[in-house]
Parts: sequence; C-alpha cells; structure tokens
Amino acid sequence: MRIIKLNNQIKKRFIFLLVIFVCFSSSIVLISYSLKDQIAYFVSPSDLQQMQNIDNKYLRVGGLVKKGSLKFDKNIWKFEVIDEFNQTVEVEFSKTLPNLVEENKGIIVEGVMNKENIFIAEIVLAKHDENYMPQSAIDKMRNDGIWRGN
Amino acid sequence: MFAITPNTLSNFLNSISRYIIFLTIILLVVSGVLIILLENDYYQGISFKIMFIHVPAAWLSLLLFSIMGVSSIIGLVFKSPTSFTISRAMSPIGFIMSIIVLITGSIWGNLTWGTYWVWDARLTSMLILSFIYLGHILLLYSFDHFQKADFAASILAIIGLVNLPIVKFSVDWWTTLHQGSSILKIGGPSVTTDYFITLLISFFSLFLLCIYWFSNIFYIIIENRKIERSKLLE
Repeated sequence: MRIIKLNNQIKKRFIFLLVIFVCFSSSIVLISYSLKDQIAYFVSPSDLQQMQNIDNKYLRVGGLVKKGSLKFDKNIWKFEVIDEFNQTVEVEFSKTLPNLVEENKGIIVEGVMNKENIFIAEIVLAKHDENYMPQSAIDKMRNDGIWRGN
Repeated sequence: MFAITPNTLSNFLNSISRYIIFLTIILLVVSGVLIILLENDYYQGISFKIMFIHVPAAWLSLLLFSIMGVSSIIGLVFKSPTSFTISRAMSPIGFIMSIIVLITGSIWGNLTWGTYWVWDARLTSMLILSFIYLGHILLLYSFDHFQKADFAASILAIIGLVNLPIVKFSVDWWTTLHQGSSILKIGGPSVTTDYFITLLISFFSLFLLCIYWFSNIFYIIIENRKIERSKLLE
C-alpha cells in the first residue's frame, strides 16, 4: 500500500472541514441547551410543584399511574400520576383511555391544572418502557420471587 | 484505500453480490420464522413484533449516514472519487430505511401510545435525519456535472453528522414519549435472550440486504458514467 504524505493542500482542506463541523455542531449544542425546557416533552409531578403560575397553562405531565388509584366514576377517569420521588398529581380525564394504560405503568397527560389542584387532561398517552419480555419469563420471575410488577 | 478506483470497487462488488443475496435470503427466512415463532410480549401483545423491523432499520439509517459522512470527509480531503461514489450510492438506501423507521414507528405508536405522531425529541430528530437524506439525494441530482454535485452533497453529509448523536441520545438528554434504548445501553440489553437473538439476526439480514442493494446501485452509477463518457468521445 502506498503511504500518503500529508501535503499542505490536504491539511488545508481538512482544517476547512473541521472548522465547518465545529462551528455547526457548537451552534446546535448552544441552541439545544438554551431550548432545553422546550425540547423536554413532559415534566414530572415534582417539577410541577416547583413551577410558578401554572394556572390555565397547557402542560404535559409524565410518570407512572399510582397503584390502586385508577377509578372510573360518572364517566370520568380518575387517577394519580406518581414519579420516583413519590410526588403525585391527581388527574381527571373524560374521554377513552388508550389500551395500554394500566396501574404502575408509564403515562403522559396533557392539559391544564385547575384551581383545586386537579389536573384536567385533554389527551392521555401511554408511555411504554424499554423492557420487553414474554409471559413465560414473567411467570418464571414470579416463581423466583423477583417480579415487582402487578 | 486510495488506490481503489470506482471501477475496481464496482467490479469487486458485482462479483460478490450473488453470494451476498444468497446469504441475505437465508437470513431473511430464518429471521421471519423466528419472528413468527416468538412468544408475544406480556404487555403489548403481538404489536411488539414491529420492533424486529423498526429497530434494525433505525440502526441502519444511523449506520449508513455515519458511513456516508466519513466517506464524504475522506472524499473532500483526499479528492477520492471512490468515497464520493460510496456516499452517492448510500443515500437512497438510508432514506428508505429512515422512512421505514418512521412508518413502522407510527403504526406501533398508535397501537401502544395512542397516537401516530408527537413532536418529541426522538421523533423530530429522526424526521430531520430523513429530511437530510432527502436533501442529499436532491443535491446529488441538481447539478449538471456530477463532481460539483458530489462537493455540495458531501458538505451536507458532514453537517448532517451533527444530527446522529442527537438522534441516538435524545431519549437520555431530554424527556420524551419514546422509550429509552433497550439494547445499546449501559447495563446490557433489557430484553430477554430470545428476543435479542432474533433482533440481531433480523438486523444482519437487513444489513446484508442493504449491502446487496448498495452494490447494485454502485454498479449502475459506474456503468452509466461509462456510457456517458463513450457518448462524449463519439
């Protein structure tokens, strides 16, 4: 194989490309850093408690459906969204829930907070986690006593 | 690598392409049988089997773009026509892969999340990736002379490299509706072994299909150039 000598022309072209790449990527990094809050798709219930002036502001809140909180009465779904710091938000939703909304599973609710600190959801999305397994694997884990779902 | 002309690479790819398509068909059949035989996910049911086309296509669309970007850098720095032709032949394949990702993903999203499309970071950056692919293809065919087109499209491919880590790590950097990585993550894959093996086999079958397709496109580009050159000489 031929050994390539890095002559001045090649060096110049390489530096030119490097400058283009560095300028562009640093601008993208700066833009995405300053738009961090807008890019984030949802906030957690504990973020929500720290936010000011959230009355009548359209928001998305995400977390897990609290175990034992999902109820259906007078044509309204009522449940609580819980995050890893055990902060909860009460949610009411008057349309059809997606198929895969269950207790102890991920959820994202879109809507506004009312005066009584109840979140009135317009849209509910089920958020799936990254774990995939067949029923037989779960039965095996249940037998071994390491399964923590419902 | 710089001693390889587009012609020799084209002849080489053309000579091995029949073995590649043979292996591809075997692997496609094996992965298809495995996907049918696999037990359904406990929570999503049968709709999780979309994963075995969605995830390999997503990996490939990122992989092909990174190959395109690197070969564009080599092409621009060393003025290597082979590298330019590699990225020229790769962009339509990557574009099709990114479209497959978007379509299968939105079908799965409707079944699982309850919506076809949301503007979260992962979905939006994937859409931008497919737009960059499309822009690359359009740039390649919007010049009279192919060398000018190669120059412009290579700059776009190098700039587009910035988008790759954003697509990959968007689920870690921001909160998204899309779930995090199941396979390529710290702490090992969070799927069971039978799913993981099936995913790998379906990835390799799709990868080989892309290589076969790439070698065909590469061959066609080179033959077209030969025909055009002979027309000019007449």
